[in-house]
Amino acid sequence: MRRAIGLLSLALSAVLATTSTSHAQAPKEVVIGAIYPLSGNLAQIGIDSITAMRMAVELFNGKSDLNLPGMKKTTEGLPGLGGAKIRLIVVDHQGKPDVGQAEAERLITQEKVTALIGAVFSSVSATTSQVAERYGVPHMNGESSSPTLTERGFKWFFRTSPHDGHFTLAMFEFLKDFEKKKGVKLKTVGLMHEDTLFGADSGKVQEELAKKYGYEVVVNMAYRAKTTSLDAEVGKLKAAAPDVFLPTSYTSDAVLYIKTAKTLEYVPRMLIAQNAGWVDPQFVAEMNKDIEGHITRSPFALDLQAKKPLIRQVNELFKKQKDNPGGRDISEAPTRALTAFTVLVDAINRAKSTSPEEIRKALVATNVPADQLLMPWTGVRFDEKGQNTGVRAILQQIQKGAYATIWPFDLAAADVIYPLPGFKDKK
Amino acid sequence: MTAEVLVQGLVSGLLMGFVYALIAAGLSLIFGLMEIVNFAHGEFLMGAMFATFWAWALLKLDPLVSLPLTVLLLALFGLLVYHGLIRWILGAPMLAQIFATFGLAIFLRAAAQALWGADFRLVKGPLVDGRISLAGIFIGLPQLVASVGALCAFGLLYWFIRKTETGLALQATSQDRQAAMLMGIDTQRMFALGWAIGAACVGAAGALLAMFFYIFPDVGATFALLAYVAVALGGFGNVPATLLAGVIVGIVEVLGGLLIAPALKYAVVFSLYLVVVLWRPQGLLGRF
Amino acid sequence: MAPVARWPVVRWTAAGVLLLLLLAFPLVFTQPHPRHVVITIFLFAMLAQAWNLLAGYCGQISLGHAVFFGAGAYTSTLLGKYFDLSPWIGMAVGAVVAVAVSQLIGYPVFRLRGHYFAIATIAVGEIVNTLMINWDWAGGARGLFVPIKRPDSFVNLQFHQSKQSYYYIALGLLLLAFWITRKVEVSRMGYYLRAIREDQDAAASLGIPVAAYKQRAMALSAALTALGGSFYAQYILFIDPDSVFPTALSILICLVAVLGGIGTLWGPLIGAAILIPLGEWTRIYFGGTGKAVDLLIYGALIMLVSVIQPGGIMALAQRGRRRTG
Repeated sequence: MRRAIGLLSLALSAVLATTSTSHAQAPKEVVIGAIYPLSGNLAQIGIDSITAMRMAVELFNGKSDLNLPGMKKTTEGLPGLGGAKIRLIVVDHQGKPDVGQAEAERLITQEKVTALIGAVFSSVSATTSQVAERYGVPHMNGESSSPTLTERGFKWFFRTSPHDGHFTLAMFEFLKDFEKKKGVKLKTVGLMHEDTLFGADSGKVQEELAKKYGYEVVVNMAYRAKTTSLDAEVGKLKAAAPDVFLPTSYTSDAVLYIKTAKTLEYVPRMLIAQNAGWVDPQFVAEMNKDIEGHITRSPFALDLQAKKPLIRQVNELFKKQKDNPGGRDISEAPTRALTAFTVLVDAINRAKSTSPEEIRKALVATNVPADQLLMPWTGVRFDEKGQNTGVRAILQQIQKGAYATIWPFDLAAADVIYPLPGFKDKK
Repeated sequence: MTAEVLVQGLVSGLLMGFVYALIAAGLSLIFGLMEIVNFAHGEFLMGAMFATFWAWALLKLDPLVSLPLTVLLLALFGLLVYHGLIRWILGAPMLAQIFATFGLAIFLRAAAQALWGADFRLVKGPLVDGRISLAGIFIGLPQLVASVGALCAFGLLYWFIRKTETGLALQATSQDRQAAMLMGIDTQRMFALGWAIGAACVGAAGALLAMFFYIFPDVGATFALLAYVAVALGGFGNVPATLLAGVIVGIVEVLGGLLIAPALKYAVVFSLYLVVVLWRPQGLLGRF
Repeated sequence: MAPVARWPVVRWTAAGVLLLLLLAFPLVFTQPHPRHVVITIFLFAMLAQAWNLLAGYCGQISLGHAVFFGAGAYTSTLLGKYFDLSPWIGMAVGAVVAVAVSQLIGYPVFRLRGHYFAIATIAVGEIVNTLMINWDWAGGARGLFVPIKRPDSFVNLQFHQSKQSYYYIALGLLLLAFWITRKVEVSRMGYYLRAIREDQDAAASLGIPVAAYKQRAMALSAALTALGGSFYAQYILFIDPDSVFPTALSILICLVAVLGGIGTLWGPLIGAAILIPLGEWTRIYFGGTGKAVDLLIYGALIMLVSVIQPGGIMALAQRGRRRTG
């Protein structure tokens, strides 16, 4: 017993050692806490996003002439705060809402962060934003696509990116436009979505909108994420044979779907993916010819760099980052993080203060013009719920191994390939 | 649901079932020998898949060519795990053993991410690719080769256990450790051998799977779960029975997905397993 | 074995001092994060204690306890959401639901032994998890937000201003788990359970109603686990199947108990007091690297402990006591 108590007090002191971090706050330093998934299934998304934000921190802290929000300046640091430097604290939430909550709380109370950014997973953003709301700290979000997040009446939560409602709306708007333009008739849709929050949200919105736009849903199935086989799922699709197939999957399942569809020779007339797996650069590189003609919704399009030199400049910088082995192109996830992060820092700079209320006011007053964005949006302005109203979803199609923007038609860099060509190397 | 779709499902499930069975075989062998459930089994599989991937990416070796290498590598790894970890917890309670192999699982998964990153990888353009079509039923060639490979591996394993002297010693150890010791069998050596063979099985499975499945640090988790169920379904320690159980798992998975709902397919597999063990607590062909 | 027969004055004093220290902790540490870590320690110590009742004393190794945890979390949240019932009532109902579920599960799976039992409980856990993901009325994969109630009140079991109240409630739950375990330990039931653990067939031949006592241990264990689940829901204010029903949670509960030493009264608390801060510490210091260094260290330490001290930390303490006489 006495030993047990001895051990307990040892453990208690370990707790204290864990929690008594004492960062004497250097004057004129802005600390931002980034909560991202850095282990587990979506670790790569988190790692890429952090790389992009570290790059932005370097640019903000030095001089830069990039036309990103708040970045074009001839002095070092943030001019609004007398040249204050930014320090980014990165933590891993492991995909767990309770870990996210604890980390948000620790970052706010102990690391004294000025603002939070994160957390990709909608379930984790749900709890981190709750903490931010309780402590009155601005919480920026650039990735979570669950519509619920901005429907809770929070004062401190801001989302730059479109949510599933916007994205899915774009898919059906596109279908209508496309039918009109090409004079084809598409009647039925098939839905397949993974069974976590992301897939459930997407599937629900898609089903509602399909009905609203007059498409018959001939098959709608959830499947177990990270499954070992999709034979049954693709079998069901083949049997139902929808005109348009709308999958919602992360990379692992997206790869498996392509492999299985290829084996079972399943080719719908049109495939529109709910982003995620389909925009993973690794996925595009690996699947190559097998995904020719696949369409995905996306908030970001690398091929728009022809029209927007800013995208090329940022991409060149991103490729040179040391945490980006192989110099891959900037993809959707890091761009979303970069956009949210620069909008946040710009607001802090305009607030000329690290007081949360001043920053919140600056965020509410945000009006980033379209030419400062990597995204094809009309700008960044937040409504009273904290949702960016300038969002615009675009659709892209794999053409000759790379994504080309096909919709809205006024932005389109290429014509739509229709119907889906199917698999090239048939035997 | 047309008959064609059902038959297609049965065929796909059968092919996948052989691979599940091979993954489960190693688990079952180790259990039969020393009553330890290796909770890091899925991570062994992940390791084998990465080994195959790197052989392909760096040495330009096709998965089928590098298969013997992967098997050998995993066998050595099995020995390493046995001597570095398992040997020290032989006499420990069942829970400490679960604890140890579970720690190993976390460690291996993290090591893979630290070494190779969290990206998804694929072996592109393997020697065997594409598919054949028989009477409207499609069979993926990599899957076909994988299941034939799995059957061959099973045959080899069976022959080794039943026909060779070492195999018989292994079996004797598995049946009665004390008696085996009295007969002059070095049980420690047998245990080490069991781990080497068990890991080699999962090495073969990983190499075959790498022909058509993506590879990343967490890939083993779901496979391992199905393997545990297959082992318990067949009967712990009964290696031939895991072949039957693996195939059942593969087929039920597809049928559950087709006839009930894809979201519930694993629930169907697990429910079937529960029903079977309630009727036969020792598994289909197990012994107490 | 923990000392069952005699508890000398010294031990009572030591326990009293420990309790005082724990009561005083939030007065000294006003930051939320240290409090959060200790609250998590209490929660997991309590869950591990509940698990210990079944596994440690009765020898039935369940790897599906998340089912009961989730039952508690979901019952209180659903009752609060749809019927506006106080979480305390929800907690009580959650415990009843968990007991009912445990009896349903227990009846068939208790026929299985050893590893068959363990794997069957994993299968049950996976089935329940899958069903919850697909049950739309209960939020499905999207999970449930606990309706926010202001101002803070004990009746609503929600405290947004400070963690102090959560801290004392968690401590209260832990003490409850300890008290029940202690009661069981010294009762006739405790002897029966240990007899079943040592040799089920011998116990049956001595006339112990084996099946009935296994069910009783399971019911107690499930009820306590469900209390922890309801507390978790009120503490985090968001639940989804992935955070309250995963097999990983069942295994974590088991790891805590095993690390401390199963079948002992103090093992679960010691296990939690070591494992939880360890996980926090490695994640905070190494998690930001994106190289999973935290999990690398965590996994290595788990292996190390199981090799050096397979009986758990309590075995170390007891060996020490035996040596000193």
